[in-house]
Amino acid sequence: MKHIKVIAEKTVECGNGTGCGECQASCQSACKTSCTVGNQSCERKIDRIRKEDNK
Amino acid sequence: MVHTFSCLGQNFLLDVESGTLCRIDANMRKFIDSVNSPSGVIGSGEFSRLRKLYPEEADEVSELVNKGLLFTKASDFVPPKPDGTIKSMCLNICHNCNLACAYCFADEGKYSGQKASMTAETACRALDFLAEKSGTRRNLEVDFFGGEPLMNMSAVYAAVEHGRKLEKSHGKNFRFTITTNALGLNDEISDFLDKEMYNVVLSIDGRKNVHNQVRKTQGGKDSFDVVLQNALAFRRKRGDRQYYVRGTFTALNKDFAADALALADYGFDKLSLEPVVLPDSHPLALKDSDLPELFEQYESLAAEYLKRRKTPETWFSFFHFIVDLKHSPCLSKRYSSCGAGTEYVAVTPSGEIYPCHQFVGNAAYKMGNIESGEIDSALYEKFCANNLAYKPVCRDCWAKYHCSGGCAANAVNFNGNISSPYKTACALMQKRLECALAVYCLENEE
Repeated sequence: MKHIKVIAEKTVECGNGTGCGECQASCQSACKTSCTVGNQSCERKIDRIRKEDNK
Repeated sequence: MVHTFSCLGQNFLLDVESGTLCRIDANMRKFIDSVNSPSGVIGSGEFSRLRKLYPEEADEVSELVNKGLLFTKASDFVPPKPDGTIKSMCLNICHNCNLACAYCFADEGKYSGQKASMTAETACRALDFLAEKSGTRRNLEVDFFGGEPLMNMSAVYAAVEHGRKLEKSHGKNFRFTITTNALGLNDEISDFLDKEMYNVVLSIDGRKNVHNQVRKTQGGKDSFDVVLQNALAFRRKRGDRQYYVRGTFTALNKDFAADALALADYGFDKLSLEPVVLPDSHPLALKDSDLPELFEQYESLAAEYLKRRKTPETWFSFFHFIVDLKHSPCLSKRYSSCGAGTEYVAVTPSGEIYPCHQFVGNAAYKMGNIESGEIDSALYEKFCANNLAYKPVCRDCWAKYHCSGGCAANAVNFNGNISSPYKTACALMQKRLECALAVYCLENEE
């Protein structure tokens, strides 16, 4: 495509695995003031990748 | 809904509902802005008319719309109602501080009350409470907070030892963190924190003169030299493991990009700088009229950030420019925000429970006590309903899935209720997010 370049597709997912709650509470990271979830990571996705890397 | 924006001399686009992120050229920006509507739905008549003016752009947009990447409709997702599980705790281990920061939200550690230290017994009981309330959650977070938590290390030692026992008896994984001003950070404490803490947050405000103006000791002396020396010693010990150097910027240093870069120049590589939150009447408060200058600072920091991250020697991460699109959180998390008052609570030295550390001392938001273990059901329900689905002003905001609705405590302090976001913080959040998305695009574009 000439005028638009897709960098990341469908990063907001409403599929499986929602709400397991194993991820970090956002205010427990660095800020303690500004509520942000966009820079938080999904614990399950990270676990999955870690396991695949260890295979 | 599609959000277009310019940052770092380029144009970008975020499809809000799908989270698709694109870099676009100027003509595509014009076309998208012409067909975009608040509802996010393109009118077919208008689209056909504009297709004549922008034929290539229209074809490319049509292709991406057909793939479900652009102008995606809002999902009918309904976040699950919290089930009473608590997984995260801010443990106010010490309501006292050896610093007297001019902007302290916690009244120099006293939270509008008396100086107090949590007993080891109360700290352990708080962890028991957390383990009991955590249901099937394995990962539990406890942040040692104050005041200054290093002033009550005996309780920290006891709590960590107790937590390690609970891990075995309850099948849990405690992630301990601590937020400290580093003034009392000696070798012995550093060794302990390095061994036991999942994350250590060290507070420094940036340039020496900026830090010393607002972070004096209780005796009125400058604190910068000691704090920097202690923090650097810890950073060397810590290596690649998790820590943050966290600063606050105020009306005194609206040129805060220089403070972030100063922290990087000292040798820290994991940074966060937060805008101070104070009423407009306070001399250090940031006001709406400051926003253009603050936006410029974020953007100039983003430009330097990109440059420095190209070489390992100057690489650093900035908390608000991080956006994890590969392991991004689920929609449920995006709706439920920080979890204050539902899955996240703060506990005071006397064992009182509040929705989070920012509410401590506000009697209207006292939720209970760890001794009884009971939570005020009316307050709990109030916080359960405090999510994106019930905030009209957030529902139509392009940043909603990254911000998740803003800080409830700030909403109370500025607007009197937990669901009306503090607008100045919204504007700063949106600008930071644009910078983060632009940085992501430019670093990940092949």
